[in-house]
Amino acid sequence: MWFRKQPAEQQENNLVALINMYKKSGDFVHFHHPQSPLPYWVAYFGTLIDVEILHRDILPYLNKSAFTTLEEIKAALPFEDVLITSDLQQIQDQLLLGSVLIQLDVNDRACILVRAEMKKAREVTIPEEEYSVVGPKEAFVESITTNLNLVRKRLPISELTVKEFTIGTLSKTKVAVLFIEGITNEDNVNTVCQRLNDLQFNQILDSSIIAQLIADNGHSLFPQLIDTERSDRVAGVLAEGSVVILVDGSSHALIGPISVMGLFNAFEDYYVNWQMSSAFRLIRVFAVSFSILVTPIYVAVLTYHYQLIPKDLMVTLVSSRRNIPLPPILEAIILELTIELLREAGARLPSKVGQTIGIVGGIVIGTAAVDAGLTSNVLLIIVALAALASFTTPVYRMGNTIRLLRFPFLLLADLWGLLGIAVAFIFLMIHLLRLTSLGRPYLEPIYPPRFKDLKDSFIRVPFSLQSTRPVFLQTKDPQRFSKQKASEVKDIDE
Amino acid sequence: MKTAIKDQFLVSPFLVFFLVHGMQYGVGPLSFQRDIANYVGHDAWIPILISGIIVHLLIWMMYMMLNKDKGDLMTIHQRTFGKWLGNLLSLLIILYVLAESVTVLRSYIEIVQVWMFPLLKTWPFALVLLFSVYYVVSGGFRTVTGVCFLAVVLPAYLILTFFVPIQFSDFRNLLPVFDHSLFDIAKSIKGAVLAFSGFEYGLFYYPFIKQPESSQKWAHLGNLFTTCLYLLIMIVTLGFFDQGYLQKVIWPTLMMWKIIKLPFVERFEIIGVTSWAVVMLPIICLMFWSASRGIKEMFKLKQRNVLAVLLFLCLIVSCILIDRETIEQYNTIVGEIGFWILFAYIPFLFICYHIRFKMRKKI
Repeated sequence: MWFRKQPAEQQENNLVALINMYKKSGDFVHFHHPQSPLPYWVAYFGTLIDVEILHRDILPYLNKSAFTTLEEIKAALPFEDVLITSDLQQIQDQLLLGSVLIQLDVNDRACILVRAEMKKAREVTIPEEEYSVVGPKEAFVESITTNLNLVRKRLPISELTVKEFTIGTLSKTKVAVLFIEGITNEDNVNTVCQRLNDLQFNQILDSSIIAQLIADNGHSLFPQLIDTERSDRVAGVLAEGSVVILVDGSSHALIGPISVMGLFNAFEDYYVNWQMSSAFRLIRVFAVSFSILVTPIYVAVLTYHYQLIPKDLMVTLVSSRRNIPLPPILEAIILELTIELLREAGARLPSKVGQTIGIVGGIVIGTAAVDAGLTSNVLLIIVALAALASFTTPVYRMGNTIRLLRFPFLLLADLWGLLGIAVAFIFLMIHLLRLTSLGRPYLEPIYPPRFKDLKDSFIRVPFSLQSTRPVFLQTKDPQRFSKQKASEVKDIDE
Repeated sequence: MKTAIKDQFLVSPFLVFFLVHGMQYGVGPLSFQRDIANYVGHDAWIPILISGIIVHLLIWMMYMMLNKDKGDLMTIHQRTFGKWLGNLLSLLIILYVLAESVTVLRSYIEIVQVWMFPLLKTWPFALVLLFSVYYVVSGGFRTVTGVCFLAVVLPAYLILTFFVPIQFSDFRNLLPVFDHSLFDIAKSIKGAVLAFSGFEYGLFYYPFIKQPESSQKWAHLGNLFTTCLYLLIMIVTLGFFDQGYLQKVIWPTLMMWKIIKLPFVERFEIIGVTSWAVVMLPIICLMFWSASRGIKEMFKLKQRNVLAVLLFLCLIVSCILIDRETIEQYNTIVGEIGFWILFAYIPFLFICYHIRFKMRKKI
């Protein structure tokens, strides 16, 4: 409004004030260069910019000839994104992102901003969490530009679209949403963008924070977005029609929407032939059910249903439990807790010490517990196997979910025996039925039953039969490749 | 009156197969053999066949009404009998549905008490089960259907267990065929039909199906599957048990499971009873969904609140039924009402609805 219009001098003073304010920080550099053909002022955060760029690509050009206007400087500098502005907010933002500010006079309102930020990132290394023996060994790093580069290299198509957001009132984290135009369902993209836009949080340190904030059900134990550090996996799911979220400063990408079967798929499955990957997947499904159910069943059977066990097997069980003074539930909880302690200690300790802990825990404590008559041999085997089985899930978060799920099952098994396990199972089933990932049903292809999607769930059929994209992603272009050409059968000797 | 249901809440027509079969296949198959064999002895498989056919007919009637009306039981009632009488009739049906849900819940808990935990109190277990029902129903009809689907698919392995007693059976027990009078067979149908009840909930969930007309064949297929399964169970039971002994057994299916022996499991009936918790869950869920949905439509109440009240009532009634005699009495009364609702009321409604329709066309 006219009466609130600020006088020009005040705005000028604001830039000076801004620089003066920044000068309080020890790493802010502001200097005058009077000797050059044209005297100029330079200001930047010494810790944010790459001094190499400043010395090699900016200062020499400024010193070469006499400029009278900012436009002349802009034309002379070898950068594509040189900014001439007098907008205070923009100047502030750009300086903090690593720009160099150049002024002809310290009291000028306008200035030039040249991006010269320091791009320091870890080297691209091999994946640690999702290591695979076969296949590419390229993991994301903490820089979003490097990560985008890794993805784009694998998908050199113009349809690959990147939408950028800035999230976090303090961290101002760059978040990128990736999808392939013409394949990915727009509803999924819109859901992700909508949720990212609505986010109210001050600091996004990692993609897992985003995953928790935009999850459909924040109270669920189950991961509703898969995080991966493999660039090949990201490229693969993008081509299937998923949406991928990359976060600056995080070495993990988020994939959505997912279904529960996605948690049993290692990306390595696509690099071995289909019989093997199908067998491995079935083993994983078995391992997960085994891991959740076996200790509760032991407790239930030995507490209530010993009639269930045939005589010969009963002898083995009884002889191993003969000297144990504790009821099965306490025995089981003690051992489960021991395993959890070992895991937690192993995760906190540096890797070399961790190994020692594993040996000490596994051998010494295990044997000693049996010798001391605190637990039975059979239960020791069962608990160790269950712990081992929980580590077979390819998605790391899923393993944690399974280990935590075991405890309610255990308690209910102690309360109502097998029936308690059934009740716990019913609740788990209902929870999975109600869960969604970005609005898509989580239990798909089991419910809603979509038989087409079974081709890449419990088993993986050969690629020649996978001519369509997953139904549950509701892609715009469901055809992956022409099936007829791929399945053409040649006659004998032709 | 017709309220359009949003697309995202609808389910595919082929899931009606699971809705129909899952609802029919409840506590009945554990115990229905005796009620039928009481009258017709070794001819007990004939009433099952006949009942299956009758139920096909009833499903056809139901769909004839629904396809014309494009609504559910409440709108059909209102159109046929006017608003007040129609709503009263709907309310009576809903009361029956609630009574039946108590039957299912209490019968299952009784089985658990007899076969697994004699000292198990009714209320804690009923409370937990009803809480899970609340969790399902508050997820909407899609979740209810999902539970129905999984409850058919996951315990499907139990079908295999019905083949195990065959090696110990003597199928000459079934001879001579047609050894009983038509009158006896007619009497035994009453017991058989109750095992088939459950298809009538189509009257409630019809508007929640995508292209509901095309779901009719799936409803028939579901009923056909139930008929085949019951025939199998019945024939194996008749071959396995001695006639005189069968009259005394309350749960013949559970008795048959006792014979199963695996290298690591004996006393299979405990596993059977446990698995049956999953089998009977969707029945209670869909019953409560239907009842709360009907009340919501008629009185414009919040379904969540209605559901909570109904569940609480169910919990109280099931705790009142303490011993075998009261449960048996209660089940007999509810069964009697159910029989008349299925066999007399649905055809009656069918005729009334069509007369009304014809009259309206003339005017």
